[in-house]
Amino acid sequence: MTCNAVGKLIPLYFYGELPAGVEDRVEAHLHECAVCTREMDRMAALSGALGRRQAKVPAPLLGECRADLRAAIQGGAPPAGAPAKGPWTLFLEAMGATLAGFSRWRTPVGAVALVAIGFVGARFSGAGRTWWKPADDAAFATVRSVQADDSGRVQIAFDETRRKVISGRTDSPDIQKLLLTAFHQNNPDVRVESIGLLSPGTDTAEVRDALLGALDRDPNAGVRLKALDKLKPLAADPEVRKTMARVLQTDDNAAVRMQIVDLLVTRRDESTVGVLQSVVQREDNSGVRQKLEKALKDLNASVGTF
Amino acid sequence: MARDAAGAAGARLNPQVDSLIRAAQRGDQDAFEQLVRTYDQNVLRLAMNLLRSPEDARDVYQEAFLRVYRNLHAFRFDCSFHTWLYRIVTNICLDQLRKRKVRKEESGVVETPGGSIDRMETFEEDAAEADPERVMWNRQLRSRIENALGDLSPRERMVFELRHYQGLRLRNIGEMLGTTEEAAKNCLFRATQKMRVVLGDFL
Repeated sequence: MTCNAVGKLIPLYFYGELPAGVEDRVEAHLHECAVCTREMDRMAALSGALGRRQAKVPAPLLGECRADLRAAIQGGAPPAGAPAKGPWTLFLEAMGATLAGFSRWRTPVGAVALVAIGFVGARFSGAGRTWWKPADDAAFATVRSVQADDSGRVQIAFDETRRKVISGRTDSPDIQKLLLTAFHQNNPDVRVESIGLLSPGTDTAEVRDALLGALDRDPNAGVRLKALDKLKPLAADPEVRKTMARVLQTDDNAAVRMQIVDLLVTRRDESTVGVLQSVVQREDNSGVRQKLEKALKDLNASVGTF
Repeated sequence: MARDAAGAAGARLNPQVDSLIRAAQRGDQDAFEQLVRTYDQNVLRLAMNLLRSPEDARDVYQEAFLRVYRNLHAFRFDCSFHTWLYRIVTNICLDQLRKRKVRKEESGVVETPGGSIDRMETFEEDAAEADPERVMWNRQLRSRIENALGDLSPRERMVFELRHYQGLRLRNIGEMLGTTEEAAKNCLFRATQKMRVVLGDFL
């Protein structure tokens, strides 16, 4: 194979797009040719430079896109934040839209409509600390099917979701349980707020595991940082340290990595030193790298592994 | 983080997708929503990376999934749903890129005295950098990368995006773009050559 031929194949070789036989021949040539090896290095450098360009999707954008799509499909669903109409107005409007042209639809209608129905009454729950009440007089429902018969009657199947407001002390078990549930909401602001309100006095295994889950898996860096903040008092816990060490090696956010280094160095143990030594070798952010080097110095450990 | 790429690969192999499609074709709205949620993060990321504008990415998302919704009844399983969906998404993105070429506009990039800055880049990274020389170098590199990508034709840009960032095979990319694997290979080669020339001394 000539250098000219290999040069044309380098991008395909780099991306693993060559048939096995050709790949072997390119590889053999690269072992012998310094010029083509340099070209291959430039290809890798290009890839590395482009690697950091990946756009970040702002966390609320996905939720907004989904809401837009749902509204467009449902045709007439009120946009979020629209002034509330009375429950019967909404119900009748939705039913009017769904039932329009009904003579054409004798079979179950697949269309889904958002309707609101009245909700009456508040109820009391818990041992004297927690009141439940509806946020307003509306409950939202998704109509799953509408079936009419010739006698003028109609059968409607719908799922109902009611919005409620719960208020109580942050150390109330009910409130803590809801805060933990809020970890799984789409809105990152809700997740950050919920983590912030977890009571420090309730460092149960459930709370700890939820915080570790957020640190390990939440796609939003703000949420991960908040979880780290809450984990500070637990920085000596072996499970917490294990998760932090893993996240330090995989997280793409420099601020998260810095915060983890700060928490890990509060206690010296051999596995922490090993992790820091390993990470410092491939850290490409100079701020984090400096912090790692200082941490290793403070722990009386060398920067490299020998 | 690699978790989204893994998610996308999983979605392509997930046998449950077929049953979701069939249920959605019968009018099951929950199934349609689940189907959307299986793919929509990667669709949005693709649009954001190509168009560098949340507003444009939002438009692409809406148009793509509405087209899917309206035409799902015609999907006959003669290719994977992933390929079918990405054919729709890439067509919409290519239209947007072509319009921008005509307008000579790259809405995600802002010109400043220190060079062009991509407004989709997180400033967090710069803030975390303690070394001003490195910050400047990064900024110049980003500016040069934007120029290099701006010099690609919409099709070269798309092939490069799908191969480099989305990790798709060239055979699939050719299928999505209605062309051959060979043509996709040529596009990728031209794209990398052009970028290596423009980035020159940075590599």
